[in-house]
Amino acid sequence: MGIINLAPKILDPIPGGKYVVNAIDYVVNWARANSIWPLTYGTSCCAIEMMSSSMARYDIARFGSEVFRSSPRQADLFILAGTITRRMAPAIQMLWEQIPGPKYAIAMGACTISGGPFIYDNYSVVRGAQNLIPVDVFVPGCPPRPEALFHGLLTLREKILKETCRNPWQVGEPKDVSTMDRYREAAKTWAALEEMKDEEMAEARAKFKEENPDYKSSFKPIRIKKEDFPEVERVPFKRMGLTQSDIYAKLKEKFPAVMVHTHSEDPVEDVVAAMPADRPLEVMVTPEDYLPMVEFIKDEASLKMDYLIDIVGIDYDDHFDVVSQFRSMEHGHKLFLCLQLKKDFSIPEEQRATALLAHAPSISHLYPAAEFKEREVYDMFGIDFVGHPDQRRIFLDDDFVGYPLRKDFTHPEMIRRPV
Amino acid sequence: MTGMLPPGFRIQRETNTEEFFINMGPQHPSTHGALRLALRMDGETIVELVPHFGYIHRGMEKQAESMSYLQYIALSDRQDYLTAIQNNLGVVIALEKGMNIGVPEKAEYIRVMLQELGRIASHLVFFACFGGDLGGQTCLLYGFKEREMIHDILEEVTGSRLTTNFFRPGGSRYDVPDTFIPRVKAFLDHMDDTMKDYERFLSKNIIVLERSKGIGILSKEDAIAYGCSGPVLRASGVNFDVRRANPYSIYDSFDFEVPVTYNGDCYDRYTVRIAEIHESMKILRQCIDRFPTEGPWRSKEKPVRLPVGRYYSEIETAKGLYATYVVAATTGEKPYRIHTRGPSFPHIAALNKMVQGHKISDLVTILATLDPVIPEIDR
Repeated sequence: MGIINLAPKILDPIPGGKYVVNAIDYVVNWARANSIWPLTYGTSCCAIEMMSSSMARYDIARFGSEVFRSSPRQADLFILAGTITRRMAPAIQMLWEQIPGPKYAIAMGACTISGGPFIYDNYSVVRGAQNLIPVDVFVPGCPPRPEALFHGLLTLREKILKETCRNPWQVGEPKDVSTMDRYREAAKTWAALEEMKDEEMAEARAKFKEENPDYKSSFKPIRIKKEDFPEVERVPFKRMGLTQSDIYAKLKEKFPAVMVHTHSEDPVEDVVAAMPADRPLEVMVTPEDYLPMVEFIKDEASLKMDYLIDIVGIDYDDHFDVVSQFRSMEHGHKLFLCLQLKKDFSIPEEQRATALLAHAPSISHLYPAAEFKEREVYDMFGIDFVGHPDQRRIFLDDDFVGYPLRKDFTHPEMIRRPV
Repeated sequence: MTGMLPPGFRIQRETNTEEFFINMGPQHPSTHGALRLALRMDGETIVELVPHFGYIHRGMEKQAESMSYLQYIALSDRQDYLTAIQNNLGVVIALEKGMNIGVPEKAEYIRVMLQELGRIASHLVFFACFGGDLGGQTCLLYGFKEREMIHDILEEVTGSRLTTNFFRPGGSRYDVPDTFIPRVKAFLDHMDDTMKDYERFLSKNIIVLERSKGIGILSKEDAIAYGCSGPVLRASGVNFDVRRANPYSIYDSFDFEVPVTYNGDCYDRYTVRIAEIHESMKILRQCIDRFPTEGPWRSKEKPVRLPVGRYYSEIETAKGLYATYVVAATTGEKPYRIHTRGPSFPHIAALNKMVQGHKISDLVTILATLDPVIPEIDR
């Protein structure tokens, strides 16, 4: 605002000067409150609702905010649309510092207010944008409708209209409430209110009984008839490609050590033959057999598994399972290879949380798709893929301690549980 | 440039000019969310690209381990929020396999209709963003205009515009209202006309043709090797659609085609999606004709408890193959592990292959035609 803020100092001593100051305020506020330019920023679901609000039906231009600026240098308003993660937090603070003042922030959606759906059992979400930057208006919802965003925008407009050159805009401080559990506080207040209400109701009921000793209610509850739904049989899926028994027989012929984990006493062949068509065959593989088997299923003409669907890690007490899911584009059958990796318990116990506990052969030279999937498994479980060309963390920062998808990852600061 | 390269860059090459590195994102209007791309440039030409993920990694898989199966359906909305209703179905089919319950006919029709509406909505956002990224801001307005009509239908049926959380094992949360079929019919009649306009905007537009034909070519072999799916794979000449290859729900009873093009460039990815809107409308028309007015809209309600085992389901969302892998280590209401395979992740992995030798403005076009949703990559 700069020079306008000097207006009261110069004009107030002059007789009638304060009316001129008021007029300046009126004009300046009219201009500022009707042209709040937001920054084009959005991380997740709320961003789509923010976009919807600027499109034909909702038309944010009615409030003067249609000019979404891509550069923070040209924006006035920071609509925090979408979850803020720990990795994104520095970028958000940087963006906030780049916006020239007077600047405002709207926290849009439950995630930016408290963490929302991601408040508990989560290691990566910042619980509330007010920990990072000063927030002016909170808009609840998951995601908030465009109308709710407009309400937030109008609330901000009222706030701007209250600013005068006697009471100019000042940069706010982020509230450090990282140690406070906002939800727990709110729950306590809520419980206290409920208790108060119960007491009041009990008093009122006693009073009513005293005044009308022979009152009898004529209210009879009606039970809504529950709709009766039938039990429906599953429709069998159409089979594509080879049957599970055929694939199993082919694998067994080449790799005698291959196993299928069944939960019954019956012979494996019978269980595999009885599998429904939509259930892919999942075989257990030893680390030695893994690479030759992947080469075999890729090259064998009758199998031809040329498409890698995904690689999934699973953490058990003493071993990891790495499930590689393959599919044949030509034939249509699927095969899951479950690679069992024993955890390396020779590592001292205090170092286990941060150590790579198992080693697996990488298949990224056979399937380029595996490169990023293996990085994900490495990042989440701490499984070392031998031969991987570029083994780095993919979703988390390089200085992140531990591997979050392991069952023993219970970092007290990161993982908070409901009481 | 020889010697030390920043992490991720691998190509070793000899050059007389000085190479430099550009950072794009995580806050950038054309990266469709919080995606960071590190570019290695030789003049104005991209030599190599390294994507950096995780700016919207919300730890859903860890969180799911302490949630019940039903609660996870709500989380799946927030992965690919443009196709939230389709993600719901992907999770629900996996649960149904575990619980071994079927779905009555009317519920299947509700499912298919909402799926196709969701597909059209997602492709309209693609149309809007593709036009917008090429500089035609008007397309943004048009794409979102028709999408609001789908949102109205979704809101009437599910109670929510975006995060629907609608399907349940054995059916859905509610029956559809009586206005559902007339509304869809009205929407389709309106859409028939507007699609002609839309195609007139972009399909023969000289700017679009110049900027998308022959740009970002992904060969058939690469598309399969990188695990691409959906319109990106079909634009490269692979006829793969889960609705045809492994029909789920009642998709095998409908008459529709899987549009396939063979050049694998940006324009083909655009045309495939436009053709898919038409195919979805075809399916919706067949649904309207055959929609059963009588009969139960869900099967008998049962507690959602899965026996020990591993369950896998795959569906075709608007972006591609969406697979859910559920591991139940104990019989109960909580998963031991749930993993989601989203379609956008492999697409960004293949991005490096597509952009090499192109300019930065082409990168924006290519990224727009991949139609990625970053929260679904990072989960």
